[in-house]
Amino acid sequence: MNSVKLEVQWSPVHSNKFITWGTEICLYEIAEIKDIVRSSCTKVSDTTVTHLLATNTSHHYVKCIDIYPLSDPDILLAVGQANGKVVLTTFGPTAFDSLGLTGKELVPKHARQCNAVAWNPVDFNLLVCGLDKYRTDQSLLLWDILKSPLNTDRVHHYNASQTESIKPLAEAGVSETIHSLAWFNNEPKCLIAGVNNKQLKIIDFRDPVKIINSTPTKAVYSVAVNPHNNYHLVSHVDNQITIWDTRYFEKPVLTLSQTRQVTKVLWCPTRHNLLGSLQKDSGSLYLHDIQHHGIGGEDTEPGALERTIAPPWSNPTSFSWHPTHVNRLLAISQQGLTDYTVYERITLNWSTRSHLVWNHASKSFKYICNNDSIYKALNDISISTKSRALAEYGLLPELSQNGELAEDETLKNLWQWLYLSRSLVEDGTIPSPDNKHPGVRTVLKIDGQNSNGSFTKSDVVHRPWTDIGSNHTAKTYRSPDRDKALQLCGWRFEKDTNAPYNNLFLERLEREGAYPRATAISVFNLCLRQAIEILNRGASKMSLLTNLNIVAMALSGFSEDKNSMWRELCLKSRSQLSDPYLRATFAFLTADNDSYENVLNENGMAVEDRVAFALMFLSDSKLYEYLKKLTQKLCDEGNLAGFLLTGASLEGIQLLNRHLEITGDVQSCSLIAIRALSPKLLQESQVQIWIESYRGLLDAWKMWTQRAHFDIAMRASANEKPPQQMYISCNFCGKSISTLIQGLSRARGPFGRLVSTSNKLKMSACPSCRKPLPRCAICLMHMGTVSGLPVTSGTPSRNEEDYKLTEFSNWFTWCQTCRHGGHANHITHWFRQHSECPVTSCTCRCFSLDASCKIGVGVV
Amino acid sequence: MFEAHSINAEHKDLIHDIAYDFYGQRMATCSSDQFVKVWDEDEHENWHLTASWKAHSGSVWKVTWAHPEFGQVLATCSFDRTAAVWEEIIGEGSGPGERGMRHWIRRTNLVDSRTSVTDVKFAPKTLGLLLATCSSDGVIRIYEAPDVMNLSQWTLQHDISCKLACSCLAWNPSLSRLHPPMIAVGSDDSNSSSGGKVFIYEYAENSRRWAKTETISSVTDAVHDISFAPNLGRSYHTLAIATKDVRILSLKPLIESAQTGLSRFEITTIAQFDDHYCTVWRVCWNIMGTILASSGDDGCVRLWKDNYINNWKCVAVLKGDGTSAQSAENAVSTPPNSSHNLGAQQPLSTTRYYKLGSISHPNQVPWH
Repeated sequence: MNSVKLEVQWSPVHSNKFITWGTEICLYEIAEIKDIVRSSCTKVSDTTVTHLLATNTSHHYVKCIDIYPLSDPDILLAVGQANGKVVLTTFGPTAFDSLGLTGKELVPKHARQCNAVAWNPVDFNLLVCGLDKYRTDQSLLLWDILKSPLNTDRVHHYNASQTESIKPLAEAGVSETIHSLAWFNNEPKCLIAGVNNKQLKIIDFRDPVKIINSTPTKAVYSVAVNPHNNYHLVSHVDNQITIWDTRYFEKPVLTLSQTRQVTKVLWCPTRHNLLGSLQKDSGSLYLHDIQHHGIGGEDTEPGALERTIAPPWSNPTSFSWHPTHVNRLLAISQQGLTDYTVYERITLNWSTRSHLVWNHASKSFKYICNNDSIYKALNDISISTKSRALAEYGLLPELSQNGELAEDETLKNLWQWLYLSRSLVEDGTIPSPDNKHPGVRTVLKIDGQNSNGSFTKSDVVHRPWTDIGSNHTAKTYRSPDRDKALQLCGWRFEKDTNAPYNNLFLERLEREGAYPRATAISVFNLCLRQAIEILNRGASKMSLLTNLNIVAMALSGFSEDKNSMWRELCLKSRSQLSDPYLRATFAFLTADNDSYENVLNENGMAVEDRVAFALMFLSDSKLYEYLKKLTQKLCDEGNLAGFLLTGASLEGIQLLNRHLEITGDVQSCSLIAIRALSPKLLQESQVQIWIESYRGLLDAWKMWTQRAHFDIAMRASANEKPPQQMYISCNFCGKSISTLIQGLSRARGPFGRLVSTSNKLKMSACPSCRKPLPRCAICLMHMGTVSGLPVTSGTPSRNEEDYKLTEFSNWFTWCQTCRHGGHANHITHWFRQHSECPVTSCTCRCFSLDASCKIGVGVV
Repeated sequence: MFEAHSINAEHKDLIHDIAYDFYGQRMATCSSDQFVKVWDEDEHENWHLTASWKAHSGSVWKVTWAHPEFGQVLATCSFDRTAAVWEEIIGEGSGPGERGMRHWIRRTNLVDSRTSVTDVKFAPKTLGLLLATCSSDGVIRIYEAPDVMNLSQWTLQHDISCKLACSCLAWNPSLSRLHPPMIAVGSDDSNSSSGGKVFIYEYAENSRRWAKTETISSVTDAVHDISFAPNLGRSYHTLAIATKDVRILSLKPLIESAQTGLSRFEITTIAQFDDHYCTVWRVCWNIMGTILASSGDDGCVRLWKDNYINNWKCVAVLKGDGTSAQSAENAVSTPPNSSHNLGAQQPLSTTRYYKLGSISHPNQVPWH
C-alpha cells in the first residue's frame, strides 16, 4: 500500500471517538456491535465496530497531531506539518469556526519540520510545538491560540489567518532539534522535551531561557509523563526503554532492554505504572509493569514485570490507550484497526472444599462452588467422595450395602463380590484361613505365589446335550478347585447332583430382565431347551426391538453337524447381533475344536461370566494362559472386575492402585483395603498411602466423625489395639495416675466384679502422694469426683461399661495455653457466654485460640 | 446465563495470588498495592474481610498458608526482596462469645535474597515446618523453624543456585516415604536457547543436600506457574506447568536407579493445550488431582480433566468476569481479522470535508 506511517489516537474527551492519520485524517466512531445497524461498519473486535464519521484530506504532510482536550461535541485538531506550520483544523463546520480557530495557522519564522505538538493539559489555549533545528532559531514554540492579535479582529479573520502570522507567546531551545515533548500533569508552563539526540530537558516557560533540569541521554523519543506520577517519565531509543525520575534525573532509574527496536511506548492511563510498547516487525504488544518499592530508598531499584501479548492483529504501526476504559487500546496497522482490551493476569486457586476462585482484575474475586450447576457438570470425584463419606460409605457392616451407596455399577459389583467371597469363605465352601477374599487365581493356586506345579489336574467330562435329545457331547473340565472358583464367579452349583447350576440364579437374572445373559448361561450349561424357553419368556416381556423370539428360533435350529447350513448362517450373521451375550451364545454353539476365542474375548460379557466359561470349557494349560492374560489386561485397565481374579492379594492392591490412578477414587481403595485386606497386606506402603491420603481428605473436610469411624474400622481390621494416647500424671509427685489406675483394676482381678465400676471414678487424689487431683474451674470439684447423675448404676450391660467409663460431658479438658480446665460440659457452657478463662485473673482467651472454632464468626 | 459468585476485592492494584487454608474456609490475597488481606467464610457461606495490612514495601507476589497444626500462619514474598512469616494472634475482645479482634504480626522477615523473591511455599507437614523460597536471581532457599512453637526463629538450611531466574516453585505433596522430598522450580527466563525451564530438586538423605535430579528439557519457554497434583498414592507424580501453553507431565520414578541415591524419572508429556494463546499464568489442581484449572492471556479460566487414561479434555471455560462460556468453542476467538481495510473507504474522501456522521448539535454550528 503506502509507506506513510499510520497513527491512531483516541479522543481525550469522547469515549467513543478516535482519529487515524496517515495520508489523510479520519474521524471514527466506535460502537458495540449490537447497537449498530448500519452496514458501512468495520468490525474491529468481536464485540465492536467502527464507522467513519469524517475524513479530512486538506493536510498532506502531517507529522504530528494533538486533539484539543476541552470537552466539546466537536473535535479540534492541532496538526503539525512537515513545513513547520501548526494548523488548527476540524472535521466540517463546528463551533470552533466562530471562534476563529478553524484553519488558524501557527507559523514559525523559518520553515522546518514540526516533530511534536501538544495542548497544555491545564490551560487549554496553550499549545506547544517542537521543531527541527534551524541555525540559531528557537525550536520550541509556545502559542496561545486565543490571545493572538487576530482574535480581536474577527470580521475578516478568514482572510487574515492565511496571510498574517501569529507571534508565539514564548520560545525556547536555540538551535536545537526537538524530537518529542510532553507537558507535566497539571502544570500550565512546564514541560519535558527530548532534544538533539542527546538530552532530556525540563523547560519552564515562565523563564524559558533557563533550563530547569536536564540529563544526557540518547533516549529522546516518545518522552511522556506518567499520568499517575508527575516524577516518572519514559522515553526510548533504539531497543531501549528508559524510565526516569525527575528527582534523580542524572541517570535513568530503569532501563528496559528489548530484543527489537522500540517504535512506540505509552503509559497506560487507567493503570498505575503500566507501559505499553510496540517493537519493529513484531506483532506483539509488550507490557511493562514498573515495580517500585520503598519510598525513595537509596539502594532500591525498581524492576519491571514484563509481559508479551499477541492480540489478533498483524504488526501494528501505532496504538493508543483508551483514556478511561480500563486496559483498552486501539492499534492500527496497514491491514486495519483492532480494538483490544488487555486482560489482567488471572490468578486462581482451588480450595479443599471445592471452591474455585480467581480474580477479576483488582476489583473482585469470582468463585464457583460445588453447588453450582457448572461445577456439577465437571463430575468432580471429590464431590461424590464427600457425599459417600457422609453416608458412611464403606463402613456399613454388611459389605454389599456399601455398594448400594456408591451409586456406581463397578463399585457395586465389587462390594457384592466381596460379600459373596466372604460368605463362601465363612461357610467353609472355600477353605481360606487368612484371606477372606481369595480370587479365582488363588483358589486355582495359579497366582503369583504358587507355581504352576501345584495346580491340581482337572478331569475331562464329556457332558451330553441332554435336553435336546441329542447324543452329541461337549467336552468340559471339572475339578474341586474349578468348582470353588465357579462359585466365586457367582455361578452356584449344586454340589452332589451333577445339575450344573442353580435355577434360582437364572430366575433372578430373568427378574432383572437380563434375558440374554440367562440364555447364554443356560446354553453354556448345555441346556438348550431351557435357553429357548428363557428367550420366549423374554420376548413376551421385552420390547420388540430386541427380537428375542427370532433369536430363539435361530437357537432351536442348533445342529451339531460341523458342515450344516445352520452353522454356516450363524457364523455369518452372528456379528449382527447387538447383544454380547447372544453373540457369545452363538459363538459357543458354532465353535470349532474347542477354540472359544469368540466367547472368551467378548468384552461386552461380564468378567465373571467369561471367567466362569473358561473354568468350564478350557483345559488346564489354556485356562492358565487365559486367566493370566485376562488378569494382566484388567489390571492395566484398572478394571475393578479384575478383583475377582486377583482377590485380596498383592496383585489386587496393584489393581486397586491402577484404578486409583485412573479415577482418583482413593476412598474406595482405602475402604476396600480396610474391609477386605488381611492385616499383613494392610501394612503395604501403597495401602498405607491410600489410607493416609483419605484421612487427609476427611481432615480437610472437617469430617471428624467419619474420620474416627474410619480409624476404628481400620484398627478392627488390622487386629491391633489402639495405643494409649493420654497419660495423666500427678501435678505434685509427677507419677502417672493412669498406670496406677490400670494397675489397681488389674490387681483387683476377680474381685473387680464385686466393686461397682463407679468406684473407679471416685478417686480424687493422687494414689501415690495423696495430694488432690486438679479441680474443675467451674464447679470446683476435684477430678475424679462423681459429678451429675451417675451413669453406671444398675446398668445390666456391664461389658459396655468397661469401655465407657463416664460420659463425655464429664470428662476433663484443659486449655493448652493457660492449663486451666474442667469438666467438658461446664467449660463449653462457660465459653458460650464468656471469652476469657473461668479462672479468676486469668485473661487467657482459651476458646478463641482455636482457629477452627466457628462460634461467633458472624459478629466480627 | 451462569454467573459466578463475586466478592468485592478491595485491593488497589493487581492481585497476584489467592491462597486457601487447609480447610478452604479462609482465604488470603496479596497485591501490588503491597497489602495482604485475609477473608473468612461465615456459616452462611459469605466471605468477609477480616484483616488487611501493608505487608511489604513492594508488590506482594505470593501468599501461602501453613498447615493449621502450626497455627494460623501465613508466608508472603515480595518484590522488596524479602519473604515474611505472619501469625495471627488474638487481641482484646469486646464481649462474650466473640472471637476477639485478631491481628497478624510479622514473626520473621527473611532478608537473604538480593533480588525480588518470586515464590514462597511451606513444605508438606510431614517434613516439619519448612519454607522454600525462590528469587529472580535464581536462588532457592529452604528455611526451617526448628521449634514449631517459635515462629520467629528460622534458620536457612539450604541455599541452592539454579542459575536461571526462578519464578515459581512447588513441593511434591506425596505422602510416600519411598521417595525423598522433592521440589519443582520453574524459570521465567524468556530466552528459549537457555534450555529447559523446569527443574526437579530432590533431597539426598545421605549427603544431606538438595540436588538437581532433572531438567525438563521439553519446556523451553518462560514458566509462570507450576503445580504438583495431589498424589493419593499414584505410582507417578503429575506436574502441571503454565508456560506458553498448559502442560501436564507425568514423572514416573525408575526403580533401578534406587542405588544411586538420586532417582531418575521417566518423564512424559501427557497433555499440552495452547487454548490460552500465548501465555498461561496459573495452574491449580482440585483436591483429588483429577481436574486442572488454568488461567491465561485469553482472560479465561479453563478446566481440564482426564477422561480416561491420559485423555485430557477441556471440560469448562469460565470468563474472567465470572460469566461462563461453557463450551470450549465459544471462547476461541477469531484469528487476526484481515477484512478491516481502511483503503475500502478511500473513494469517499475526495471531497475536502465529507461528513458521514450526523451533526450532534446543529444549532451550535455557525454558518458564514
